[in-house]
Amino acid sequence: MSDWRDRLRRLLAEPLVHFLLAGAVVYALLAGRAPDLGERRIVVDRAVAEALVQRFVEAFHRPPDQGEIDGLIRDHVADQVYYREALRLGLDKDDEVVVRRMRRKLEQAAASDAETRTPSDAELQALIDKDPARYAAEPRLSFEQVYLGADNPAIRAQAPALLRQLASGQRVDGVPAPLERVHTGEDSATIAAGFGDEFAVALASQPVGSWHGPVKSGLGLHLVRITARTASAKPVLAKVRQRVENDWRAAAVRDAQARDYARMAKGYDIVIEPGH
Amino acid sequence: MGLRKTTIAMLLLGTATLAGCDRLASGPADDSKIAETAVPEKVLWGDTHLHTGNSVDAFGFGNRLSPEDALRFAKGEEVTSSTGIKARLERPLDFLVVTDHAEGLGATKALYDAPAFMIRDPQMKRWRELMHQGPAGSLRATAEMLLARMSGKLPAAMMDKQASAKRTRSIWEAHIRTVDRYYDPGKFTSLLGFEYTLMEGGNNLHRNVIFRDNGDKVRQVDPLDPTKEIFPDQLWAYMDAYEKKTGGKVLAIPHNSNLSNGLMFMLTEPNGGPMSAAYARRRAAHEPVVEITQMKGDSESHPFLSGNDEFAGYGTVGWDTNNLANNQPMKPGDYAGSYVREALKRGLMIAQRTGVNPYQFGVIGSTDSHTALSAVEEDNFFGKHPGVEPSAHRATDGFIPGMPSGRMNWQSLASGYAAVWAKANTRGAIWDALMRREVYGTTGPRMVVRFFGGWGFTPEMLKGDWVHAGYKDGVPMGGTLPAGKGGKPSFIVSALKDPKGANLDRVQVVKGWTDAAGKSHEKVFDVAWSDPEHRKLVGGKLPKVGDTVDTDKATYQNSIGAASLATVWTDPEFNAAQHAFYYVRVLEIPTPTWVDFDKVKYHLNLGKEIPLKQQERAYTSAIWYSPAH
Repeated sequence: MSDWRDRLRRLLAEPLVHFLLAGAVVYALLAGRAPDLGERRIVVDRAVAEALVQRFVEAFHRPPDQGEIDGLIRDHVADQVYYREALRLGLDKDDEVVVRRMRRKLEQAAASDAETRTPSDAELQALIDKDPARYAAEPRLSFEQVYLGADNPAIRAQAPALLRQLASGQRVDGVPAPLERVHTGEDSATIAAGFGDEFAVALASQPVGSWHGPVKSGLGLHLVRITARTASAKPVLAKVRQRVENDWRAAAVRDAQARDYARMAKGYDIVIEPGH
Repeated sequence: MGLRKTTIAMLLLGTATLAGCDRLASGPADDSKIAETAVPEKVLWGDTHLHTGNSVDAFGFGNRLSPEDALRFAKGEEVTSSTGIKARLERPLDFLVVTDHAEGLGATKALYDAPAFMIRDPQMKRWRELMHQGPAGSLRATAEMLLARMSGKLPAAMMDKQASAKRTRSIWEAHIRTVDRYYDPGKFTSLLGFEYTLMEGGNNLHRNVIFRDNGDKVRQVDPLDPTKEIFPDQLWAYMDAYEKKTGGKVLAIPHNSNLSNGLMFMLTEPNGGPMSAAYARRRAAHEPVVEITQMKGDSESHPFLSGNDEFAGYGTVGWDTNNLANNQPMKPGDYAGSYVREALKRGLMIAQRTGVNPYQFGVIGSTDSHTALSAVEEDNFFGKHPGVEPSAHRATDGFIPGMPSGRMNWQSLASGYAAVWAKANTRGAIWDALMRREVYGTTGPRMVVRFFGGWGFTPEMLKGDWVHAGYKDGVPMGGTLPAGKGGKPSFIVSALKDPKGANLDRVQVVKGWTDAAGKSHEKVFDVAWSDPEHRKLVGGKLPKVGDTVDTDKATYQNSIGAASLATVWTDPEFNAAQHAFYYVRVLEIPTPTWVDFDKVKYHLNLGKEIPLKQQERAYTSAIWYSPAH
């Protein structure tokens, strides 16, 4: 470790930077290509300068002034000088951070297609077909409920009379509470969030049509009438596109990276010695 | 040109380039087909305040989760927490705003990833090494970084504006892409936002900034770094500039006024003069809502300010001795500028003097969790940050282990959530509900609360469709009573227990008003309670509801309390010449705290000073009354 630093410090003491600034010209590395170790030219052409300016604009939302452009170029040249000298000195070898960084870059490269590409309908449909249950439209219930308040024997005793009133078309108001009477097209998770699990379970097996009850919930007792029920429906891509696309992307990134790794690893003779 | 700077620039090159080129052609899902109802029919539950590994402190605390993890968790999918615990939210949320700290967005991660030999600053080098040693070291490094930040002593190298601007841009771009992708209009809404971490002198003046718009507009600006001021003038200027530039909309929500040492709700302007109408207007226009409760304590009121309110001071212990940075003791004289009820009163005083109320704000609760997990159930509390995720020692650890925060972790609250009466589950509808203050906060339980004010409400109304009548003939929470036709204002108050939680003890109306001399007053009215046959007011005071908590088992029974409480209440002391506000507080029966659940789970022996039971609550936005001018 310490001799790296010594070499680095010695290097820094040399007027290398000034020399290069005065005479030399820089070559672009913005593409991320590692320079040839023997390459001694650093060219700053129009394309490089424009890329530097572009990045500045992205960060600061304004164009740099002349002084700042000079600074960007100086900085870029210094980047190149340091980078190449560091490579020449072998500072990248066995550096845990460089190793990790290089790995991440290749992983990112492998993932970049999946990250940016919009998958085709056929690809998304294939994903749905693999696990239709995951994307199937949940069964939905529409129902009306009358809230009778907390569960107690007196209320339970009143329920049959109230049910008769409802059956004959009379309105029953129940206990005032911030709870909608009419619920339209709710899935079981939504019903459970509003009324508790046992209520959602009880409604699932209740037939469509007439008033029933009392049905117990986490809030107390209710009279309930199911007005419509839609069964679990085959998933339709247009309705679940975003969710499928999120899943597709997460899987595509993982797969691309795994494939890339497998391909590269094939080129190596990997020896894991026994006892380790 | 320093070695360090170029190195960091190089480090950033990769991500910046990637971020620049992979913008998605497609935006978020189209919400134009989601119809809004005529009036809000269903309350939506969410969290407007959550941090992921992109937050400079959260990463240091060990948070390795991303905004995508946070969104998946909020939607009800299973994720693995930073400490390796599988976690799933039993009841998914309806909406979420991931609000990572704008300041130093991604900076701790960048320091963690930087090559050691390139870091010159001995302090930064030490922090990096500590972080690589593991969770304990990471906590320690972060504690030291926070202390340095709060006292303005961060190494200059960490404050490099150009490097941080580049880093911020790339993380913000990725953040926007993810949040847009998880927007599922009608079912789950992800809003774009960030936290503006203003903390002059170590006092908490933080705001969460929340956009109404999609990424196409929001990506035209970067999240804003805080500056050194007491009033967030630069934030408001930023918000104005955003709206002007994009035609979009943005609001800000202050939080943890309890740690501001009196600076959050000042009567004066920063220069010391009385607050002007112009200033008051500017404040009210940008900050329609305040976060009243969260993990770092509750800001409703303090026993010092509300001596006649036996339920004041929920979750204030430990948070009322010092400011956020623990570098300035809090004097009781500072409490008035730190708590919400007093701020509502101050707003009336300023309105009486200037004609404009700067503090006519609504209230919500949120988590401020730094675990990326919005989980505030007492029986499944995931803690304020990964350093205090479930473990046998977390109850008796310091709030930030390794940092002299002046607080113990048992003082953290498993609180709170935001309840929003929106007309649809969309970005626009939720944002609009926040803007019109039709929102409330709870300390975690999902009680449903309706509150309407008007001039002719009668108890008979509760037999019919009182919700639509409330909207038609009155105003909902957050509203201002229209000019009266004589008589006293009446209020419809209705509360329903959490279907998976405890029964209700009582519903109260908290009134604040100003007298002719410009002095402010407050009074708490019990308006509906359980078991009214047996619980009668004695000298104006309601007997306690009882207590079924067994702290040895962390259980309670719903054998006391009520499932729902509703009433129409008329203010018996109304004076038409006085400015006034009314808000509702709903109290649950006593239940075990998260610490009690830990005690049972880990067989702990805890000191007597640690509360094992509590009465959780909901606070609504107020309804205001102003005398005609």
